[in-house]
Amino acid sequence: MNHKWLLLFLIMTSTVFISGCWSQKELNELAIISAMAIDKNEEGKYVKTIQLVNPGNVAGGLQGGGNGQSPAVTVYTAMGDSVLEAHFHATSKVSRRLYHGHANLIVISEELAREEGITDILDAFERDPEIRMTSRVVIAHHTKAGDLLKSLTAIDKIPAEKVNGTIQTTERARGESMEVTLQDVITTLTSAGKETVISGFSLIGDIQQGKKMENVQQSELDTTLESDGLAIFKEGKLVDWYQGEMSRGVVWILDKIQQTDVILDWKGQENTLTYNVVRQKTKVSADTTNDLPVITVNVRAEGDIREVRSQIDLTDPYEILDIEKEFEKEIKKQLENTVTRTQQNKSDIFGFGEVIHRSDPEKWKKMKSDWNDTYFPNLKVNVKVEAFIRRSGNRTNSYISDMKQ
Amino acid sequence: MEKAKISAYQLFILIVLFELGSALLVPIAIEANQDAWLAILIGMVGGFCLYLVYHGLYSYYPDIPPTEYIQKIMGSFLGKILAFIYVLYFIYLSARVLRDFGEMLITSFYWETPLFILNTLMVLLVIYTVRKGIEVLARTSELLFVLIFLLGVSVLFLIVVSGIIQISYLEPVLEEGIKPVIKTTFTQTLYFPFGEVIIFAMILPYLNRPEKVKRIGLLAIGFSGLILASVMAINVSVLGVNNITRSPFPLLSTIQTIEVAGFLERLDVYFILITVIGVFFKMCVFFYASVVGTANLFKVKESARLAFPLGLAILILSITIASNFSEHVKEGLHVITLYLHLPLQVIIPSLLLLIAFIKNKKKKSKHSKNLFPKRKYRLVERDKK
Repeated sequence: MNHKWLLLFLIMTSTVFISGCWSQKELNELAIISAMAIDKNEEGKYVKTIQLVNPGNVAGGLQGGGNGQSPAVTVYTAMGDSVLEAHFHATSKVSRRLYHGHANLIVISEELAREEGITDILDAFERDPEIRMTSRVVIAHHTKAGDLLKSLTAIDKIPAEKVNGTIQTTERARGESMEVTLQDVITTLTSAGKETVISGFSLIGDIQQGKKMENVQQSELDTTLESDGLAIFKEGKLVDWYQGEMSRGVVWILDKIQQTDVILDWKGQENTLTYNVVRQKTKVSADTTNDLPVITVNVRAEGDIREVRSQIDLTDPYEILDIEKEFEKEIKKQLENTVTRTQQNKSDIFGFGEVIHRSDPEKWKKMKSDWNDTYFPNLKVNVKVEAFIRRSGNRTNSYISDMKQ
Repeated sequence: MEKAKISAYQLFILIVLFELGSALLVPIAIEANQDAWLAILIGMVGGFCLYLVYHGLYSYYPDIPPTEYIQKIMGSFLGKILAFIYVLYFIYLSARVLRDFGEMLITSFYWETPLFILNTLMVLLVIYTVRKGIEVLARTSELLFVLIFLLGVSVLFLIVVSGIIQISYLEPVLEEGIKPVIKTTFTQTLYFPFGEVIIFAMILPYLNRPEKVKRIGLLAIGFSGLILASVMAINVSVLGVNNITRSPFPLLSTIQTIEVAGFLERLDVYFILITVIGVFFKMCVFFYASVVGTANLFKVKESARLAFPLGLAILILSITIASNFSEHVKEGLHVITLYLHLPLQVIIPSLLLLIAFIKNKKKKSKHSKNLFPKRKYRLVERDKK
């Protein structure tokens, strides 16, 4: 009997020791990082900016607390000779253990990306088991990376969420930027047949104003954060920025467009028709029979007419066919512009190299080493577009047709 | 040998969990790049052949474990040495699996916890299970197999739904021809994980219906081979070959990539559950074989008594076999495949089968031909008993 009680006692005590609390940290001992930014200063040291969530100030109005009085995030910066050293230097400023598990945004400064490249700084992020490979990566455009984290934002109180949300929304609605994860960046860096593209983000207005709480206490913010084009990389270094239709071309060829709009001139009148692409599919194929491979980009887009600003008979199927032809030409022109500019940059961001690798591994082996500089700029790229107009919204012909008769 | 019987279904589950055990953890066959799945499938076919060899030996001696029939085949002295080597081999392999388990947990989740603590917890659990005997182990596997199956299906569903699979990563198939694939098969996948079923030679005598051994074993190897190949194919198509060669635990990275509907993400716990259950069974089977083998070889009546001392030995061995993770992996992939797996899984069993075949033929010709005319007759004889 005694024996049993002893055993029970042992089992009970062992629960204290084996319940996985070896390095347990309570929530009030953690500083939750929402975003990180990497800059480089004049002395050549890395400056790491970390954005910490103030949990009490994120909660909704009813919960009260310090809501409205102080910002939802606090930002610290620290310097170091390596990214990790900068991180550890930051611990001298924060009272809690820095916790990366919820960090969802990594901002890299334009300057650093352009001069030194991003190849040297990502290993620390990839190696750390706490940091997620699905964290989004963004390049700070026209501004320091750290400043992007310091500005307060409306609607989404945590700036990191605002940045990620904006990129996601623009990708889905227009396709001028795209979500790029840490894993995507590293995959494209290591791939010989595909170069890196990262979305840009910029700060509009004065950063000193953006840091203050007053910034978000007005209907129109003095300082805002905006999605701003795509950063084009070559072998880890930033070489070019694409904006507007140029950047949409990249997203389109990468087959990531979900919805977008195309404007067309019609019979001499400028910007008459707006076509809303509802779905599309882009296929890239390679023909490697000749010495220099030929790439074919096949786009098939489907959508509606959503704005008409002149007299066009949309009830006439033949007219619709003509309009479709014009849209095909317009989209083709835009995509070809993107391809031409990219070939001038000598950076295969479309992954044409990978397509050739898949279709003709033997040939690829010969071209692999100087793909970007020799072969890619001289590629012949055929763009074929099929655009279909399915319907025209809630009206057939525009009221403008009736007014002018 | 304890007096225990397991059913054919239980054997099937044990083999499957055993095969998946640590093979799900590590990037197997990644030397074949995007054709890793093919190397695994070819390894599986090799595994069938090896299993047939082990089964051949079993069919000559259906009632005694290998440690005993080796002595019958090779003679008492040489046989004892060989049996002893096999027991050591089993002990070493269970230490390796334990180390894999500890390293996985520390690298990914418990980086502040000492290896010793994690390994001790696992070893205590395994010792407890093995002391309870093979029947308990088999019943536990039946229970947990359902859990693993559900987890696997839901992970697969989430991966598909989150749209992270890019089949194009699997192309081009056979970029460098079939040679690297075959090479990977014969330097790795044939032995790890498929050749390791040699351990089941120790367990086959417990099966209640010996006529099913062959079919069940082949089915289980085929099933686990298909799972491993498809998991590796999914890993490659989610992460790409480059990322896998750099990650020690690719399945974990794959699961971490899942993002569904903005909140179903960071599902690392799936990985922990799958691998801890898998590794637990792999360790148990290895350890059980070591304990029973030792008991059989040294004529210890109660094999359960050996569980504690051997468990302690395995615990210490698991920590001392390598001073760092790289050493552990390098040994596993390049040293033991060539110097341990190849002779002990392939060469010696084949030789044993050959000798057993010749011996039994001689016996047959010595005695009257009617004594053992066909296997069917033997089965009927046993049923009468």
